[in-house]
Amino acid sequence: MGASVTTFLWRRIVHSGITATLLVALLVVHHLNSVSLHDTQFLTGWVLVGGIVGLACYNLRKKVPVLPLASAAGWLQVHIYAGWLTVAAFFLHTGLRLPRGPLEVALWTLFVLISLSGAVGLTLSRVLARRLGEHGERPIFERIPTLRADLARRVEDLALASARDTLSITIADYYRSELHDFFRRPRHRLAHLTGFRRHLRHLLDQIDSLNRYIDDRNRDTLAQIAACVVAKDNLDYHYALQGTLKLWLFVHLPLAYSVLPVAALHAVLAYAFAGISP
Amino acid sequence: MVEVTAISRPRRWDSPFDPALGDDDIDRILAAPMFNGLDQSRFPPTLSLREIIRNDSRIDRYRRGDIIVRNGDYGNSVFVILSGRVRVLIDEIPEIGRRPARRRRSPWRLFSQLWTNPPLPEGRAVDAWSPSAALHLRRESGPVRAYLPEVERVIAGHHTIPLAEGELFGEIAALSRTPRTATVFADSDCELVELRWQGLRDIRSRDDHLRAEIDRRHQDRALRAHLAETPLFAHLDDDTLAAIAAETRFESYGTTDLFSAFDRTDSQAEAGAALANEPLIAEEGTYLNDLIMIRAGFARITARLDHGHRTVGYVRQDDLFGLGELVEQWRSNEPAALRCSLRAIGYVDILRVPSPLIERHVLARLPADRLPPPPPHPASRPASLPAWQARDAEAGLEQSLADFLIDHRVINGTATMLINLNRCVGCDDCVRACAAAHGNNPRFVRDGPALGDVMVANACMHCIDSVCLIGCPTGAIHRDVATGRVLINEATCIGCGTCANSCPYDNIRMVEIRDRAGKFIVDRETNAPIRKATKCDLCSDQLGGPACQRACPHDALVRIDLREQDRLAQWVRR
Repeated sequence: MGASVTTFLWRRIVHSGITATLLVALLVVHHLNSVSLHDTQFLTGWVLVGGIVGLACYNLRKKVPVLPLASAAGWLQVHIYAGWLTVAAFFLHTGLRLPRGPLEVALWTLFVLISLSGAVGLTLSRVLARRLGEHGERPIFERIPTLRADLARRVEDLALASARDTLSITIADYYRSELHDFFRRPRHRLAHLTGFRRHLRHLLDQIDSLNRYIDDRNRDTLAQIAACVVAKDNLDYHYALQGTLKLWLFVHLPLAYSVLPVAALHAVLAYAFAGISP
Repeated sequence: MVEVTAISRPRRWDSPFDPALGDDDIDRILAAPMFNGLDQSRFPPTLSLREIIRNDSRIDRYRRGDIIVRNGDYGNSVFVILSGRVRVLIDEIPEIGRRPARRRRSPWRLFSQLWTNPPLPEGRAVDAWSPSAALHLRRESGPVRAYLPEVERVIAGHHTIPLAEGELFGEIAALSRTPRTATVFADSDCELVELRWQGLRDIRSRDDHLRAEIDRRHQDRALRAHLAETPLFAHLDDDTLAAIAAETRFESYGTTDLFSAFDRTDSQAEAGAALANEPLIAEEGTYLNDLIMIRAGFARITARLDHGHRTVGYVRQDDLFGLGELVEQWRSNEPAALRCSLRAIGYVDILRVPSPLIERHVLARLPADRLPPPPPHPASRPASLPAWQARDAEAGLEQSLADFLIDHRVINGTATMLINLNRCVGCDDCVRACAAAHGNNPRFVRDGPALGDVMVANACMHCIDSVCLIGCPTGAIHRDVATGRVLINEATCIGCGTCANSCPYDNIRMVEIRDRAGKFIVDRETNAPIRKATKCDLCSDQLGGPACQRACPHDALVRIDLREQDRLAQWVRR
């Protein structure tokens, strides 16, 4: 508390500059090794191993929040830019060739998947967090099922009361055939993620069309149900986006854990067969 | 037609200090020396002295040795001795229940929290507590009170000042909402009239003698020390400070508590109307006769915009208003008008230092580079702008955000938790880090009021005007002298819930505690669960600062002192 605030743009410029400098340094060293007829595979290999281990340390930092090990935001910045650098080292190491042999295929696939999931996760973190602000108040993820159940109960009560008090079956029928399932569980996850809202327009049009069959009392009930539908759709939106923000880590982390032993085995084998030409 | 719910407008005396106070008690209080000399004709019928006493006072009875006020505690009332004697104790002794200084944990103890934290919520190692070793509590008919078991030994061993029947104490802390500067305990069984600050203020404003007496005490005891601590006067010698203190006027504005209108403004139109309820302290366009120093409370700075007033910013305790204009006036030798207005939010105490004194003793002596620049004209570079002009504001808050922070009384915070919703991905790393640092119990909720991208999370803000500190019977909740943080000493917390009920932000939670094995801890006599007040302590025993802020990977969370308006604006505009 108390330090001046660095803008994200300036931070991005500085960190990109540092990363670019390190990348140029790596390319220069790689080139010098290459022209002096050294085996550059060992150089890029060790850079790669160092990068992977360093990247994994970020998760360790997250596991020990009680130790004064600098801010997690700082670690994430290192993780992101070191990640890009490691990808560059990977391309230098593999020479943009496809792998041969089961171990190399496994390692190559794991690394590509972990890189892709990292890049996707970073994009999701930036894009989805911003989009969540566009749909009203942001509920806590763990509370969404409770809020959804409250809405479902309220709509069911409205539908039952409509049938009981006015002897009209339109709303109750519509609830049974369309809304019961809608309120029962999260819906339209893909539509929410991609930003399409057609399903909501469709439901609201259906509800609106019921107005011609009901009396004034039920019109009020129908308006309340329509409001609940919109509220439920907003909850689904938050559930889909917040769930995705949590889910991608379950892809990224297992890949990260699995790449470590495979990379270690690859290093051991590389040294064991260093003197043997294919 | 829009449906409405009609209620009676809340009034000042809806909740008398002591509803059981009878006419006989009021007659006794009015017969006391402090009150019987008051000219009752100076009180209007709607605010008679008798009604002030009826609603703003109560009679407290203490037994010999009972602690009445504790050094360092906050209070909002003044005491008049009705019968018996009390003693003022300047020294700090263990028996008054002062808490030990918090020590930071060693790196190993920090690390070992990962496996030593109890698995069930609110587990405590009760063996390590010694709650009654120094603090003695007793309860008879009234509230629980701490007491000194050996009064004679305390009197013999420490410097104390006796106060007798009819004398008054605690007025400075009550009026200026500053910590009590001494402990007062009952030297005999005694009765005290406890008068709320609202009542004291009304009586003071209508009785010249009482006002002069309180102002004299204020000047003698508090004002000179306060001026000496103000950076603007730091270079002045004692004689000059005394001369300035003698000319400085102490004034109060506002009729309500800071929180009485808390969270009641729902629309921009209502927010605009709310300004009408904020008394004007200084008006834009008028010429300046004094430098205004905020002694206690909060005030809104506004500037005219068409037919309304837009919020430019806010000031709070120890802030200055009008200094820039004074500098401009002094430099140009032309009278300078105020650029903005100042309005009281709730109840505000100010000090008015006459401008000739400032010009002679401060502006003439300070090097030019230490003088503040003249304030920009609101039309050219305002500190905050209406939302639709936000892009023009290179620095400063948007008006809507400034209004939001004021309307929700967030400006009270010195370590407010703000979350940038544009960056927050809901990973809850902040909550987990908080839990890891507090025995697996998070001390905040990642939820709260929001405006646009800025959310104010439900975490203790360590308020500058901390109403939670008032009324704790054991002094368990206190402000740390070194850091200013509001902390709770669990060993002396008796679980009464006074602080939790007082917190207008609902940031203090009462919890039932368990032992390390997971069994609930109950009172030996009543079998009732033992409760403790819990809240954010800003990780005061951890290394590296608040764990929540350090754990946020996306730079979405910040703990910020709302006095730092420039930094807040920078953080919002990143």
